[in-house]
Amino acid sequence: MAWIRLIRLELARLIRSGGVAAAALLLLGLGVYAGWQGNRRVQAAEAAASAAETAYQDQLAYLSSTYPPTTEAGEPLYYLAFPAPQPPSRLSALASGRTAVETASLRIRLLALEGQLYEHETLNPRLAAAGHLDLAFVLIALLPLFVIAVTYDIVSGERERGTWRMARLFARPRRLIAAKTAARVILAAGLVTSLALIGAFSTRIDADGRAGWAVALVALHTLFWFALCLGVAGGRRSSTANAMILVSVWVTLTFLAPAVLSLTNALLHPVPEALELTVRQRQGYHEAWDLPKAATMEGFFEDYPQWSDQTVPEDEFTWAWYYAMNHRGDQAARDASRAYRDVLTQRDEWARRWSLLVPPLATQIALDRLSSADLHTQLAYQEAVRGYHERLKQHFQPFLFSAAPFTQVDWDRVPTFEPAVPAGDAPQAGLPAAAALILISIGVLLPRIRSRPSPDS
Amino acid sequence: MLGRLYPRAANVGLRNTLLVSRRQIGTMRDDRYVLFLLALVVSLGVVSVLGARHHTASEAEQRARYQALVERQWAEQPDRHPHRVIHYGFLVFREEAPLAFFDPGVGPYAGTSLFLEGHRQNAASFGDARHATGMLRFGRLTPATVLGLLLPLLVVAAGFASVSGERERGTLRLLLAQGATPGQIMGGKVLGIGALALAAALPIGLVTATFAAVGGEGQTSVTRLLALAAGYVAYLTGWVLLTVWVSSRRASSRAALVQLVAIWVALCVAAPRLGASLAATLHPIPSRAQFTAQVEEAQRGVGDSHNPDDPFFSALRDEYLARYEVDSVEELPINWGGVVSREGEEVTSRINEEQRQELLAAHRRQDGVLAWFGLLSPYLAARDLSMAAAGTGTEAVEAFRAQAEAHRYDIIQRLNDLHVHEIRYENDRAQRIARQEWTRFPVFQPNSPSLRRALTDRPQSLTALGLWIVVPLAGLGLGRRQLPRVGVDGSGS
Repeated sequence: MAWIRLIRLELARLIRSGGVAAAALLLLGLGVYAGWQGNRRVQAAEAAASAAETAYQDQLAYLSSTYPPTTEAGEPLYYLAFPAPQPPSRLSALASGRTAVETASLRIRLLALEGQLYEHETLNPRLAAAGHLDLAFVLIALLPLFVIAVTYDIVSGERERGTWRMARLFARPRRLIAAKTAARVILAAGLVTSLALIGAFSTRIDADGRAGWAVALVALHTLFWFALCLGVAGGRRSSTANAMILVSVWVTLTFLAPAVLSLTNALLHPVPEALELTVRQRQGYHEAWDLPKAATMEGFFEDYPQWSDQTVPEDEFTWAWYYAMNHRGDQAARDASRAYRDVLTQRDEWARRWSLLVPPLATQIALDRLSSADLHTQLAYQEAVRGYHERLKQHFQPFLFSAAPFTQVDWDRVPTFEPAVPAGDAPQAGLPAAAALILISIGVLLPRIRSRPSPDS
Repeated sequence: MLGRLYPRAANVGLRNTLLVSRRQIGTMRDDRYVLFLLALVVSLGVVSVLGARHHTASEAEQRARYQALVERQWAEQPDRHPHRVIHYGFLVFREEAPLAFFDPGVGPYAGTSLFLEGHRQNAASFGDARHATGMLRFGRLTPATVLGLLLPLLVVAAGFASVSGERERGTLRLLLAQGATPGQIMGGKVLGIGALALAAALPIGLVTATFAAVGGEGQTSVTRLLALAAGYVAYLTGWVLLTVWVSSRRASSRAALVQLVAIWVALCVAAPRLGASLAATLHPIPSRAQFTAQVEEAQRGVGDSHNPDDPFFSALRDEYLARYEVDSVEELPINWGGVVSREGEEVTSRINEEQRQELLAAHRRQDGVLAWFGLLSPYLAARDLSMAAAGTGTEAVEAFRAQAEAHRYDIIQRLNDLHVHEIRYENDRAQRIARQEWTRFPVFQPNSPSLRRALTDRPQSLTALGLWIVVPLAGLGLGRRQLPRVGVDGSGS
């Protein structure tokens, strides 16, 4: 009972302290704002997805009304951009990861694909360079500062005020520190819970495994900071020394380590293929134009042997040949495109592996994955768009080879985009980070557990 | 040190100030945390110069290589029909400014390759940030980040106890009793901490200057380097003044440290992100899908140059038939197909550009919010000026886009003119322009905006940096009489 009373006393003292209450309210305020903003962002992404759909319908109606019914299907298909909207994950409202720099609602024409996959969003680069605020940032970067602020003088403060000796009359030092820590953990847990609940309600997140893992990771990450703070502040250093050490560690883990790893990653895995594939696709397509048409078709038949009994006239423009030539462009870029994706996959895997050493980074990267907002997801999306483009091509090839008018196309039976499914299940995304967080937490606490705290000198 | 007794008070004042500054330097030299942080900041600064320089150099080399390849491919085209070449188009790769390794600015978030073709205005592809993993969320390691983000923390660590520590040890009263005025004490502290900040910034600056010189950019780089140096000196001076000010107002060093770290977090970590987020909320922009839908919608108003029966183009035909006094387009002395393509390009380009300008205006409104936010966050203002001086700001990306669009329009209309005058209307598609013609086309040579313009376009950031020095300076000046009383009558605890 004495134990609970101690915790209660300490909690009351913490809450009454003006600075602590102000910081907690500030964090809550930022969290509410970030949750609201994230929700707006997801709504904007949903609006973009439906805009892609509407634009397709509008375009289809316009083309159908302007072309004479005898027009070959190949001609309106030249203009028609098919929607490939990837619905945003609700969780990305709270952990937005790379969604700001990525496109999720591409519109794909039947032409060569590689030139259509990589255009930038309409994003303002100036804002992107200033940084990005979401609930994950509040929880991963700012909450630890709150933890530091309430624990850096957990022992040294009492010592410096001269209250340590008196406090010792009520309990043994180890017990006292445990009670004081417990009060702070309860306070932080209250913050995390309220922020998570606010986030969940403001964005209507499903209480599924992914959300559960996200909350667990944030909780473990916060506990890591408590472990670290105790590891540092449980010693005999002065309050100012503790504060400086902890702030330096925070800067190192939250800014320096990610920045150094990011630069290393970029240096280890350069991506010249981005420009290579662009140049190759354009060249492959246009060189095909100067080839005899039979030679162009030859390359096309390598990938589509089912059409190899078809011939196109040499001296006349046909849409079958035109789209085959576009296919030649993608063929020419194929190796570079594969290499490009391989490098990005390597970057993604390298980042996930090395992030495990840096708790905030491990948490961030795992959250990105849980909320389908990481590089891997973007690659999966591009892959899904590739699959869609392929299905569209195969759907329309019969019309092109038979030179059928577009009125013969049953537009309701045109393939629709199948969004990429999130990679891996939730435990797969969260478990390595969780394990790393627990191990590192134990690691930073170990010296403190071994040595008895007797800081009354 | 009984300064007031001496007749030449100015000299004594200076001497007292220098004595205090020497005292502060001595304290910092004995502080192993400060020394550790100093070493950390300097080594990170140097590493970041080397790393970022290597990265930008290899990127620049790639872009130059592919640009040369694209130019060669253009010149080596076979005989082609000009409309073919309109669709063949041209690729341009955005070159980063020579000082991008110091501050990449908005560069990584803007696309690097842009395909220029007829009928369309494409968006750029392949920005650096799209190839980065989620790690980038926390920022990138560049000399600008080291100077703007980390060096202030070093200043805080070195100076939070500068005045409050003297007070706690009782030496502040001793200094005052010996004749040093509060102004001299605080001046000395500012000088001492400033010296440390300079010791940290100088190696980073020298390495940067060396690499910039190796880049061989000459005069422009020198002025840009000087502008960068001036900006960061002002920014760091503000931090030194603020640190001494807060330290002089607090009875305990602990309170001073907590307050300074809180200020650093608010100004350098929270404010920029909050500002960007508010700017995006206040001025929402359409997504790419919505934007292209808008462009298509606007284009439908004039019709399509590929569709010669369009009302716009039939009106055009009547006009040409009347001008040349003939009855059919076949009788025109020029190629009607080329005319349609040329006039169509003019209209679609204008519409595209109008839509683009609307989007860019929304971007500028967002930038405006961020610029005003700079008055709250000197870090934001300092980085804004840093981008301007390094030539990596928004205006550089926009200049590239605008010049690429002008180049696109020029090339496409030259090709259309060839179509109008060199290709006969009859049996149009079978004819070719001889390959020699391709080498006569202009080469894309973008110019980056001038430093003067980049700086004068940022009045808020310049004001913010000025205020960042004036406010703590005024605080120090106004508060100097209270210096002996802080902590005595319960104030400043």
